[in-house]
Amino acid sequence: MHALIQGVILGILTGGVYALMASGQTLIFGIMKVVNLAQGAMVIMAAFLAYQLFTRFGVDPFLAIPITTIVMFGFGVGVELLFLRPLRREDKSELSLLVTFAVALLIEGALSVMWGTTYRSINANYANSSWTLWGYQITLVRLWAFVLSLVALGLLFWLLNRTRFGRAVRATVQNPESARLLGVEAQWVSALGFGLGAATAAAAGSVYGLLYPFYPGSHYDLISRLLSIVVLGGLGSVGGAVVAGVIVSTSSAIVAATISPAWSEMTFFVILILVLLIRPQGLFGNVDRGAI
Amino acid sequence: MRLPSVLRGGVFVAVLVTVPMFGLQHWFLNLLVFVLMYATMSSAWNLVGGFAGYPSLGHAGFFGIGAYTIALIFKDHVLTTGYEPFLLLPLVGLVGALIGWPIALISMRTRADVFAIVTITFLFVVQTLAFNLHDLTGGSQGAALPIAPFPAATFELPFYYVLSALLIFTVGLTFATMRSKVGLSLVSIRADEDKARGVGVRTIGVKVLAFSVSVGITAMVGAVWAYYQSFIYPQFAVDPLVTIAIVLMTFLGGRGTLWGPVLGAVILESGQQLLTYQLGAVQLYLIVYALLFLVIILLLPRGILPTIEDRLRLRRRRRRADAAAAPPGNPTPSGEPDAATMLGGGAS
Amino acid sequence: MQQSNRLWRRGGVGVVAAAVALTLGACASSGNNSGASASLKSGTPLVIGASVSLTGDFADSGKAVQRGYQLWANEVNAKGGILGRKVTMKIVDDASSPTQVVSNYQNLINRDKVNLVVGPFSSLLTVPASQVANRYSYAFLEPAGGGPKVFAQNLHNLFFVQPAPTTKSGDVFADWILSLPASARPKTAAYTELDDPFAAPIAENIRARFEAAGIKTVYKQVYPAETQDFSAIMSKVVAVNPDVLVGGTQNNDAYAQVKTLVQLKFSPKFMFLSNGANSPLEFPTKVGPQNTQGILSAGDWFPGSTATGSADFTAAYSKAYGGTADTIDNSSAEAYAVGQVLEDVAKKTGKIDNATIISTLHQGTWPTLLGDLSWGPNGAPSGSFNLIQWQGGKLVPAYPAAVAQAKPIYPKPNWGG
Repeated sequence: MHALIQGVILGILTGGVYALMASGQTLIFGIMKVVNLAQGAMVIMAAFLAYQLFTRFGVDPFLAIPITTIVMFGFGVGVELLFLRPLRREDKSELSLLVTFAVALLIEGALSVMWGTTYRSINANYANSSWTLWGYQITLVRLWAFVLSLVALGLLFWLLNRTRFGRAVRATVQNPESARLLGVEAQWVSALGFGLGAATAAAAGSVYGLLYPFYPGSHYDLISRLLSIVVLGGLGSVGGAVVAGVIVSTSSAIVAATISPAWSEMTFFVILILVLLIRPQGLFGNVDRGAI
Repeated sequence: MRLPSVLRGGVFVAVLVTVPMFGLQHWFLNLLVFVLMYATMSSAWNLVGGFAGYPSLGHAGFFGIGAYTIALIFKDHVLTTGYEPFLLLPLVGLVGALIGWPIALISMRTRADVFAIVTITFLFVVQTLAFNLHDLTGGSQGAALPIAPFPAATFELPFYYVLSALLIFTVGLTFATMRSKVGLSLVSIRADEDKARGVGVRTIGVKVLAFSVSVGITAMVGAVWAYYQSFIYPQFAVDPLVTIAIVLMTFLGGRGTLWGPVLGAVILESGQQLLTYQLGAVQLYLIVYALLFLVIILLLPRGILPTIEDRLRLRRRRRRADAAAAPPGNPTPSGEPDAATMLGGGAS
Repeated sequence: MQQSNRLWRRGGVGVVAAAVALTLGACASSGNNSGASASLKSGTPLVIGASVSLTGDFADSGKAVQRGYQLWANEVNAKGGILGRKVTMKIVDDASSPTQVVSNYQNLINRDKVNLVVGPFSSLLTVPASQVANRYSYAFLEPAGGGPKVFAQNLHNLFFVQPAPTTKSGDVFADWILSLPASARPKTAAYTELDDPFAAPIAENIRARFEAAGIKTVYKQVYPAETQDFSAIMSKVVAVNPDVLVGGTQNNDAYAQVKTLVQLKFSPKFMFLSNGANSPLEFPTKVGPQNTQGILSAGDWFPGSTATGSADFTAAYSKAYGGTADTIDNSSAEAYAVGQVLEDVAKKTGKIDNATIISTLHQGTWPTLLGDLSWGPNGAPSGSFNLIQWQGGKLVPAYPAAVAQAKPIYPKPNWGG
């Protein structure tokens, strides 16, 4: 029982981080109908950036976030303009998958050249400290990561609901044609939207680097988990991604604690298959004409 | 003047069969083995990703399934002639197809993006299972196959011929499909699935069939590879880079064409093997690969063959228009029909 | 064909003459070339081919192997080469791929017709590569393929240049524990094992010997490579309070296990980590230098070793690549040892062709900077590793007595924080 509850605590804390990573991915899909297979790679890229700032300049990973966010935002806009914009509309759905996958490989290759392939981790001096609450261990780093994720998600919600840009984004997600009729510049929304998705990866990257060792090839594991989460949450729904992130992460942690760590990986996949069988549009997704 | 397709096919078969007789060096035969492997897999992928328009990102999973199936069958076997694994290839193909069928049924009810997600997830599931099911697969320790008892002087030849046979089969199958109702159905699905269904095309049946056949062939190639390597590990038998290579080759040569994937495989696989050998130390391997991919998708989205065909067609049309009162350009569809002509101009 | 052009432009020094002459006949000539006939009259360069992972997952270790090979070649040439012939290393990249490694050795042996080949990094690549070498009767000395599957092939041409097969590297720990007086020995043991071809078997070998000696197994967990969170596993370890924790690990999981134990405030009396704790620089950086005291691991080469050629190696390495003895990756030392063995064969027999190498190395012991090595018929070395321990922030060999530079500390002191 103790192990179970410890698993749940761990799952919730980690879920916040995954929710943050997934929110960017689902947002990109919502705006551009593009499944961004490079999301995992962008998180790892941000992790390396945070690592570099930490080891070279002693900047704490949490404090590095504003810097990495700007860099990643620019990167995201660049990727959209260079590689996604030129795709013609008919092919966009198929080709964007391949393009984003290629971008992921490109990032991996560049990271390997710059930092080699040994595992890195950001060893802040508070990395080992933990609290014990009623006999359950709570690692400080995870707690801060969770809080940070909540803050970042809160910012994202504010951005989407209270700003003009956010309204434009939501309009484009709901109904691109009407949005365009109303004067929303779809081109700008796409580019900035992709940049925003990349920016969420920046925050997630700092956190990820603190919690786990990583190397350029880590994005494969990440992307497979993120895909399960966004499908469960419903492609395009940020709120859905958050809920799904916590659910999936918690289930995985429970399996690890009660059954065996070897099978906790499968939890992500099992959930994905179940979702597709039972409710393909996910928890909060929409059933559009021609969509899922 | 274009040769009729049957003649072209015949030349292809003749070339494949006679090439080894020139007493080629081992390293070159080795290269050809890998080129044939990828040519077959790309042609098989083309059925689903090219004709039907469903980009499967999980074919490497079936490659691995084929590899592990043959490893399981021959686990503690002692080979006599060494041809036993080849004889059991059809069984391996069947296993692949049978596993692919429910996957197709579940995932092809949805759109292309979700289909891609499911297939890529399937890939990782297979890899995880390969790692975790120790008793079956040997887990991370890998699985050994009995070493092929072929004499060193002609070691590569049996593999070469078996793979050639597989390639000829796949290309032939593609050819037959293109001229059949199934092929037409696939192309119509790619163009506009809802309309196709509305018109009465049996979309699900056709898609699932194409997928099952495609992955069955891929599984067979995986089995041959496993036998050639004589030892397989989960992360290499089920490797996302294999999928990406197949996709890239098909795209380069031309999706939905007959010879496109083969051309793409010849160019990319030999290029990759030789370049890695020469340039690997420059550490830019992955970057070059990814950039190449992006360049091809962005600049040559239809691939080499269709682009060449378009240019030729344009030239012919211009020539005919210049040559006095000729009927307004209908492209000369000689030779095999490809996706573009079937749709009367192509979706480009 | 374009290949010959590229080769010409790119060609390494000694390869050009031999390779061009031979590749001109590439498309026409037939058959294979047995290794023996490729050794020409003395004075021609001795070309040694190797496929090493310079890119991909094994890149960092692969590059360390490359440095080791290259360093040895430079050193031996400074001494006059092998049998008067200058040694040229032809090193190519296999991108950490078994498909590529097969092609590479095919190319090296049959296209470039190198005189000798030496091995790649990792058992995963060594297995298929050794098959290719065996087919053409090339000797295969390899520095980094020590997994059980390598030896299960029963290849007569293969020699793993390390003191013992990888899965036996932890046996020295069992040797030491069982040499302690019964009152000082641990009574209970927990095993945390990484699911990979080496780490888990190392721990399992130790477990077999412990159980036979009456040390009770109170917990065992095998975890997959992707495991990033060790709190669940280590909490269970803490719950059973073992006297000794045996970790069959690679690097990252070893660091994670230590960090988690520090967080959980649990310090076992004996702690052994098969890998991770044997990295002189990484380990204290990752877990905190105050937490290393008393942790045990196994290693073949370590800075400060007094084995044959070690001092020269360390000095030459620092001169060529900078850094100190602590920054040298073991893989470089192991690659260097490969070269040492080849040198010795030449000195002993006066010949350096593949057949001679294969027949000579199956007898006797061969001194290297990893210690004295000897091999069984399937290439498995028949020695043992050194037990090394962290003492005062440095890694010192503690057992067996012949190599020990300090007495082993036990029980392990509590974490420094």
